Amino acid sequence: MTGAEPNGGSELTGAEPGPGGSHLGRIGPNVDSARRRVLPAFRRTPAWRIRFAAVLGVLGPGLVSGFADNDAGGIATYSLAGIQFGYALLWVILASQIALFFTQEVGARLGLATGQGLTGLTRERFGVRWATFFVITMLVANLGTIIAEFAGIGAALGLFGVPIPVSAALASVAVVALISRGSYGRVQWAFVGIGVAVSVAYIVSAILSRPDWGAAASALVVPHLSAAPAYWLAVVGTVGTTITPWGQAFIQAYVVDKRLGPEDINTTRLDVGLGSLITNVVAGFIVVACAATLWASGQTGITDVAQAARALGPLAGDAATVLFAVGLLAASLLGLGVVPLASAYTACEAFGWETGVDWRWREAPAFYGLLAFFIGFAALFILIPGLPLIQVLYLSQVLNGLLLPFILVFVMLLASDRRILGDLASGRWLLGIGWSITVVIAVMSVVLVWATVSGTA
Amino acid sequence: MLYLSQAIGRPVQDRQDEPMGRIADLIVAVGDRYPPVTGLVVQTDRRRIFVPWSSVARLDASGAQLRTRTIDIDKFRQRPNEILLRADLMDKQIVDIDGRKVVRVNDLRLDEVGGAWHLVAVDVGGAGLLRRLGIEGPFRTIARNLSRPVPEKYIDWEDVDPVETSIASIKLRVPHQGLAELHPADLATILDQLAPRDRAGVLASLDDEAAADAIEEMEPESQVEVLEDLSPERAADILEEMSPDDAADLVADLDEITRDRILAHMESDEKAEVEELLGYAEDTAGGLMTTEFVSVPATLTAAETIDRLRELEPDAETIYYVYVADEEGRLVGVLSLRDLIVARPEAQIADVMIREPAAVRTSDDREHVAEIVSRYNLLAVPVVDPDERLVGIVTVDDVIEAVVPDSRTRLPLRPGSRGGGTA
Repeated sequence: MTGAEPNGGSELTGAEPGPGGSHLGRIGPNVDSARRRVLPAFRRTPAWRIRFAAVLGVLGPGLVSGFADNDAGGIATYSLAGIQFGYALLWVILASQIALFFTQEVGARLGLATGQGLTGLTRERFGVRWATFFVITMLVANLGTIIAEFAGIGAALGLFGVPIPVSAALASVAVVALISRGSYGRVQWAFVGIGVAVSVAYIVSAILSRPDWGAAASALVVPHLSAAPAYWLAVVGTVGTTITPWGQAFIQAYVVDKRLGPEDINTTRLDVGLGSLITNVVAGFIVVACAATLWASGQTGITDVAQAARALGPLAGDAATVLFAVGLLAASLLGLGVVPLASAYTACEAFGWETGVDWRWREAPAFYGLLAFFIGFAALFILIPGLPLIQVLYLSQVLNGLLLPFILVFVMLLASDRRILGDLASGRWLLGIGWSITVVIAVMSVVLVWATVSGTA
Repeated sequence: MLYLSQAIGRPVQDRQDEPMGRIADLIVAVGDRYPPVTGLVVQTDRRRIFVPWSSVARLDASGAQLRTRTIDIDKFRQRPNEILLRADLMDKQIVDIDGRKVVRVNDLRLDEVGGAWHLVAVDVGGAGLLRRLGIEGPFRTIARNLSRPVPEKYIDWEDVDPVETSIASIKLRVPHQGLAELHPADLATILDQLAPRDRAGVLASLDDEAAADAIEEMEPESQVEVLEDLSPERAADILEEMSPDDAADLVADLDEITRDRILAHMESDEKAEVEELLGYAEDTAGGLMTTEFVSVPATLTAAETIDRLRELEPDAETIYYVYVADEEGRLVGVLSLRDLIVARPEAQIADVMIREPAAVRTSDDREHVAEIVSRYNLLAVPVVDPDERLVGIVTVDDVIEAVVPDSRTRLPLRPGSRGGGTA
């Protein structure tokens, strides 16, 4: 390289002096465009891919919570429903799935309209005392769910002969890993993948077990009523595993976190609709598979998880236990990736504490403290000697069902407030449906309590 | 000292000690450093009435007493510069400017100065929460016996920036003055924590340059959201203020439609620069570089060069290095600002510059760029095209960003989290 000839001025790389002075380092038109044309990684993305990604970006929360609904508690509860009552509870599944769509839709709308989570809104609208009551209710229900996920892992690994203390330790490690490592997005799709696989296994198994399709179809649309406490326990459990307190918080937080706004309402509704439809189909086939294999052959008393695995026998034969265990394990992990975080988040949001895994321990003591408490409590709980895991799975869902009316009342009160929802305010129609669902679930919980008290008295 | 929670619901009496109603809310006028209480909202049997401060004789934790026997039953109307403490602030989110985060209001603290109450601080600590739940006394007793402190946290009203809440009865017309004075990186942290609607409000109150500085510091995902929420005109204005390399990175992340709409509004110069940079692959020197740098011909003297720098007032990201180019635009040398300053004023640049400086090509990958930067301890490395022409520089901060990938996890569930969310 040689020095430049003197030209007495400051020459700025290939720039034409514009009006009012020189430019800095502007590149002139003399770039090697040929070279750029052959660059491998062009930074422009084709339009169709952008559109596809945009749709996928919005699709998600409903699908994820749809699959997360069929967690360990879900699989256990649907299995028990089929084993104990055959096809009789199919109508509850259909009804609770329809209700799921409406409750999730309201939750999503609250998130879209306000950009705030459920407990944050509760705090702003009803003040700190009601918010505290709300959060405690939510946390009790969620703790039950987290215990169920631990029990699910314990039961699944137990089928391979792993002792409970080892499962409890493994489960605790798994939660921490799920929460702290890697991009949740990728993990989430892995969960959904496993969810799909297990769901397909149940569907195939149900078809192979030659169920009485006529009986199933009529049970789907004709409500079957009974005064037996066990029946109502199953009804509330089925509803409580489908529509969950944490699911309400989750859907709202999810749309907020994805920073969706009122303009995304239609995509979100589609997503929520698809999610509840998928949950519905899978839950129905779990019931049918259990009804056609165990209930039909008179094995209606269930004492351990291994029996529920036989519903997959028609498809997997001797490998049914392995398939069931893998499914239960994946379902539990799916729940564990979401519920503890959702719970800690829910509490912190109401009280304005730092929340999220981006903070250090010292910056967000409440958030991490809650997480540690949930995980520790659940791990210790399943260590109780002689604990019937299948009952834990089942009763945790009943607890969800019993606490659900309290949560739904708050959700519906928020949704009835025009100031909050603004342009997304519920019409008379949707409000009517939402309140009806809330009342029906509340009545069911009361009936269960009454049937239990009078049945045991 | 008085907490709002101690005043709400307390009885209001007239001059003859006759009960009139209960305190429903306090009104303050914003604008002052510590907004004074300008009136009460009193809940009587039948309705809420407004009592101006001039009619109030006494206000404390036991309630309020009026000066008059009769008051004009004024239907309460909120004036634009007034805030209702309970309806607009209590339990809502605010920005703690010092702490650079969004917190929730547990209680509000008032102090009496010269016969009037003023809002002085926001209680965001555990003590305020306990007070609101009505268990502060017992809790303090227990804490004292265990010799544990009760966590208290107050934020001075000066260091607070209200955000528009979902439910506030009014849009708070408080300028986001405190936020405008923050360091852009801190402002970005706060913007990341706000809901889109509040974010828009804050951005609207900033000038283009401040907005650009803050957006440059945000996470790529948030940048895209913010830009998509703005009008194309405003987005274009802000992009023009950003350094071209950051602007290009951001534009590259936008979808085709938004991108074209925004670029259409940009000044042709800046637009050409951005489009130019868009042509380079992201993980190459071309993709990392900025086109803002200072280059001079070798024939100047040191003094002339310094004058030139002043005259240009470069908004270049860095002027630590002055590059020397021949009339073809080929890179022939470099000198640091230090070299320039210590050189004799009449010295020729050609004599003091470092010849054949370390440089990278537009197609070199980021690892190579990082290697050069670290081997020669550079703050910036020049980028040349295949004809040796100087086309840009890669500054050290962009290199660090490129080789130390952002390892923060992205979990859904945390609106307002940095880098995304939660589960």
